[in-house]
Amino acid sequence: MKISGEYLLPVSRDDAYTILQDPAMLARAIPGCETLEKIADNEYHMKMKMVLASMSGLFDGKVRIADPNPVSQFRLIVDGAGKIGFMKGDGLLTLTPADGGTNVHYDGSVEVGGTIAGVGQRLLDTTAKMLIKRFFTKLNTEVAGSAASSGKG
Amino acid sequence: MATTTVKPETLVGKKVRRREDPRLITGTATYLDDIKLPGMYHACVVRSPYGAARIKSVNIKPALELPGVAAIFTGDDVKDLPSVPCVAQLPGLRMPHHHMLAQDRVYFVGHPIAVVVARDRYLAADAADAVEVEYEELPAVADPEKALAPGSPAVHPQWPDNTAFTFHQEGGHIEEAFREADVIVKQRITSQRLIPMAMETRGVVADWHAAEKSLTLYSSSQAPHLLRSLLAGIFGIPENRLRVVAPEVGGGFGSKIDIYAEDMLMTFVTQRLNKPVKWVESRRENFLGTIHGRGHVDYYELAAKRDGTMLGLKLKIIQDLGAYLQLLTPAIPTLSVLMMPGLYKFKHISADVIGAFTNCFPTDAYRGAGRPEATHGIERMVDILAAELKMDPAELRLKNFPAPEEFPFPTATGLAYDSGNYALPLKTALAEVEYDKLREEQKQGRQTGKLLGIGMSAYGEICAFGPSPATPTGGWESATVKIEPSGKVTILTGASPHGQGEETTFAQIAADELGVNIDDIVVYHGDTQLVQYGIGTFGSRGTAIGGAALYYALQELKEKIKKFGATLLEANQVSLSGGACIDEKSGKSVSFAEIAAAAYRALKLPPNTQPGLVATHFWEPPNFTFPFGAHVVITEVDRETGEIAIRRYVAVDDCGKIINPLLVAGQVHGGVAQGLGQALWEQAVYDDNGQLLTGELTDYAVPRAHMMPWIEASHTVTPSPVNPLGVKGVGEAGTIGCSPAVVNSVVDALSHLGVRHLDMPLTPEKIWRIVQAGGQA
Amino acid sequence: MIPREFDYEAPTSLQETLQLIASGERKLLAGGMSLIPMMKLRLATPDSLVDLGRVPGLNHIVESSGTLQIGATATHHDIETFPLIRGRCPLLAEAASHIGDVQVRNRGTIGGSIAHADPAADYPAALLALEAQIRLVSASSDRIVPAVEFFLDAFTTALEPGEIVVEVLVPAEPGAEGYSYEKAPHPASGFAIVGVAARIQRSGGKISLARIGVTGLGARAFRAMEAERLLESGSSLDQAVATVGEGEDANSDLYASAEYRKHLARVRAKRALEVALRRAS
Ligand SMILES: Cc1cc2nc3c(=O)[nH]c(=O)nc-3n(C[C@H](O)[C@H](O)[C@H](O)COP(=O)(O)OP(=O)(O)OC[C@H]3O[C@@H](n4cnc5c(N)ncnc54)[C@H](O)[C@@H]3O)c2cc1C
Repeated sequence: MKISGEYLLPVSRDDAYTILQDPAMLARAIPGCETLEKIADNEYHMKMKMVLASMSGLFDGKVRIADPNPVSQFRLIVDGAGKIGFMKGDGLLTLTPADGGTNVHYDGSVEVGGTIAGVGQRLLDTTAKMLIKRFFTKLNTEVAGSAASSGKG
Repeated sequence: MATTTVKPETLVGKKVRRREDPRLITGTATYLDDIKLPGMYHACVVRSPYGAARIKSVNIKPALELPGVAAIFTGDDVKDLPSVPCVAQLPGLRMPHHHMLAQDRVYFVGHPIAVVVARDRYLAADAADAVEVEYEELPAVADPEKALAPGSPAVHPQWPDNTAFTFHQEGGHIEEAFREADVIVKQRITSQRLIPMAMETRGVVADWHAAEKSLTLYSSSQAPHLLRSLLAGIFGIPENRLRVVAPEVGGGFGSKIDIYAEDMLMTFVTQRLNKPVKWVESRRENFLGTIHGRGHVDYYELAAKRDGTMLGLKLKIIQDLGAYLQLLTPAIPTLSVLMMPGLYKFKHISADVIGAFTNCFPTDAYRGAGRPEATHGIERMVDILAAELKMDPAELRLKNFPAPEEFPFPTATGLAYDSGNYALPLKTALAEVEYDKLREEQKQGRQTGKLLGIGMSAYGEICAFGPSPATPTGGWESATVKIEPSGKVTILTGASPHGQGEETTFAQIAADELGVNIDDIVVYHGDTQLVQYGIGTFGSRGTAIGGAALYYALQELKEKIKKFGATLLEANQVSLSGGACIDEKSGKSVSFAEIAAAAYRALKLPPNTQPGLVATHFWEPPNFTFPFGAHVVITEVDRETGEIAIRRYVAVDDCGKIINPLLVAGQVHGGVAQGLGQALWEQAVYDDNGQLLTGELTDYAVPRAHMMPWIEASHTVTPSPVNPLGVKGVGEAGTIGCSPAVVNSVVDALSHLGVRHLDMPLTPEKIWRIVQAGGQA
Repeated sequence: MIPREFDYEAPTSLQETLQLIASGERKLLAGGMSLIPMMKLRLATPDSLVDLGRVPGLNHIVESSGTLQIGATATHHDIETFPLIRGRCPLLAEAASHIGDVQVRNRGTIGGSIAHADPAADYPAALLALEAQIRLVSASSDRIVPAVEFFLDAFTTALEPGEIVVEVLVPAEPGAEGYSYEKAPHPASGFAIVGVAARIQRSGGKISLARIGVTGLGARAFRAMEAERLLESGSSLDQAVATVGEGEDANSDLYASAEYRKHLARVRAKRALEVALRRAS
């Protein structure tokens, strides 16, 4: 499944590039992320608890940052597997300066397997989009929060 | 002695109500899941979530430690056992060893990896969840055309071209036909993968008796004797110590002819644990692990004269086989080849089939099995030719049918169509809808943008599988008729009905032949310990072969009854009528019950005659039967949304003689429902990784009652000369006739926009896009 | 298709129910038509269910001073068939009649449906068009939220942990109001590809009020406010419906792409409005 979209982060491109690769920040923004531990450069082990409506599932997987091209582009690769199936996301994030901050454009694909793929067709696209939205919304609040606490805002 | 004889009412041809229904309607029938044996364990299968992967490890320890878990078996435990069987044979066929549990790799989503056995099904499901499997995902391929392309991932590493077999058949001189042709039309036509979706899922209860070294296996099967033979071979259990019982079976549509990994697994488990064990398939497993149907990509070329005379037909079939070969998998597309000429007088044909492995569950016989694909193809091609020639599609069809006196009609594919009057149903159906008026309405409507479609199919099918040389399972059928000492009649049929209603139709036949009350007759089936060897119910064979076997058994028995009657009446010549033997000279008679009593009491035996009244007949049919008919469908297409409404559905079927019109109507209605499902809604969609995206009923659209149009069904009757009953078979007709008629109708509605072909299913968006694009696909 | 083990409690008063769920650990069970299928697939694995089925006074349907009060456990079938709703809020009855099949309508409840907030559910479109209000109660609060503020995102509502939907409040129909619910169902699930609920009031040959609720198109049901405004200011139907779903990030699945859905929403909106207009005269 192909997905793409864009969000505005209210920070400079340099900051956006750093924030989007900051494991502490990712851990807080990735929906359901419970732990994120570094296992290699640009590679993290992640435990996630996805909760969506009545559904919930534990996932165990990896987050990887690849093909970095500071400060305009990198790939974010997330994959995880659990009892209810597995998922893989591979997105190219492109950062461009914009009015009021940085425009983050993402373009990628999401693959799911197992029960979630076989019984949730109707809702996959909606759900994927919603999770991405949650990610950026959370990132935005985090950014705003840290900006406020560091006195820059 | 009683002397009155009443001419009983004949029952064949009457709307006798199904004798099966009271137990079904009151919920008292015994389906597989109703079987409970003392001390029975329950099994749950751990399945792969990947379409292709290497199994790195399977850790059963956490599951084994859970309460109530009796045992867990993995691939290693069954590695030396034979393959899940495929009985189809083709030259050069590559047959992968289909282990009942995956070994080091998985080949499709749902591939069994381990079986967990526990005290109850809830514990078994929990424990299955606790089995830890580590996978390394491998590239997969789910589309048969992609699978055949160079560089595609290999489903089986040993066969990088993903080709299981190629098959070629020719008749006449195809190149000549194409040289002589004035017009050649070509089209790629698909018949998408479908899921049979029997209301009752599969299930098995296996019960090993160690002391007797015997096994009783209950399975929701369409072919219990076949299951017995194959299991006996696989496990080395003598057939006379292996009893297979098909209890009440809630539909099969072909999907329950197969022997499945789970039939074998439960046999394995009960022997290992010395306990009965039950496995019942969930709906989700039914999607993933019971055979699918269709899965064709067809390339057609039709050569014709300008006057519409059809000359030659070329066909290339790419068959999506799935990852393994189930019972008949590779044979199914060869049936499409046999029926590729449809009802038309082609002299020249050429066909190539390529069987492609994919990382999907295997395809096999689903209602129609190869014939819906063939019929859909030829009936689409005829419409495409009609459009090319600017000829009326009905006229084109009528021009190319063999005449009734040309039967038996030899086809270019080597068949002999038994009997037919192909023009009659088509003309009847067209008259019924007032064809000419409709064409006028269509023309008028187009002025105002109304999209009215008139579509037809003239279908033929091959039924009553079949002569044994052409049927891998054997093609005969058997029947035993016993008249008990009290005069009650017991019938044992080798057919294995699972919804078709032969407990009713066979009783009708016997009641008429013997002249006894239908309530005195009981029909048994589906238990190999009770019934003599039989083949089973599939391929519209139940009545055409099983019924014929019964007919002959009845004739043998009637002869013996007459002998006893003559002895009792001390007459030379007696006739059997109205449940009694009558001395034609004196008019004296002796009742059936009296004869039965005498035959078993055996005080006075006729010359050269032994006691008892039992006859068994095995009947090998000399030919297939070839039902036919015409379906005409009137559709209205909503130009703004692409939605299709069926205004009328007229079916005129010819299935030879009709034993019971109620049951024939039921078969036609059910068949049309499944044909409509294919035409409009259903499709099994796998993504590129082999994930089945339509893996539940929330996404896989099986037609429901409120989605069905009113079906105006009627019949013409052309008896088959192949069997003494004159019947042809009707189990698959509705499905076969339906999909091309619907698609032809919708294409017809859009034809003035330049639309020539649409692939199924005809989803509203597909239609809307075509209309938006002004007919350009 | 066998759920994980769970505890089951069936309280017999609202008070008891609210106490049980206050901790946020337990899950409510109403009709079970959304929750149980998830549990059987083990996509939902709640430890503990609290069944609303025996809580008295939760399935009322009454009218009081121009407002219909519909209890959370009123079933879709109740809402489809109750004379009070058919007479005084026919749009809601019509929407209910489109939900799933008979079995689902017999068990499913309005409270469960809106709490679940499936992006393709039928009620939300109708409740938005009706400008309904939803009463939410917890052990420590009791508040009324307008429908527009209740449906936030796919499967996401204004419900706080420990809160429960107790009733839905809809205005009783003032008289010659026109209404319609137009739905394009998915052939498998029966859920809306799109569903459009429309209400029209006329005065002096003009549209004095237009309300349009749309479901299935986006992550949550929404009101097509621009179209409403255009209709109320005398624009043509075509002009108005052309704005339905504008800027909406439309859903897509195997059966219907985002582009088609958006188109379908406009066609269905027009048809719903046409019927509503007819009924309003
Ligand atoms: C085959 C099928 C077809 C369907 N088709 C449609 C359709 O076409 N249109 C449509 O709109 N819906 C459809 N549905 C969904 C159906 O309407 C459900 O009934 C509804 O979504 C949930 O209501 P319920 O009472 O069954 O809730 P449940 O399944 O019991 O609960 C759903 C969720 O809501 C929570 N909940 C329940 N009651 C409350 C409450 N009072 N307060 C707070 N939280 C609560 C539960 O904890 C749970 O998380 C279909 C369902 C099925 C099975």
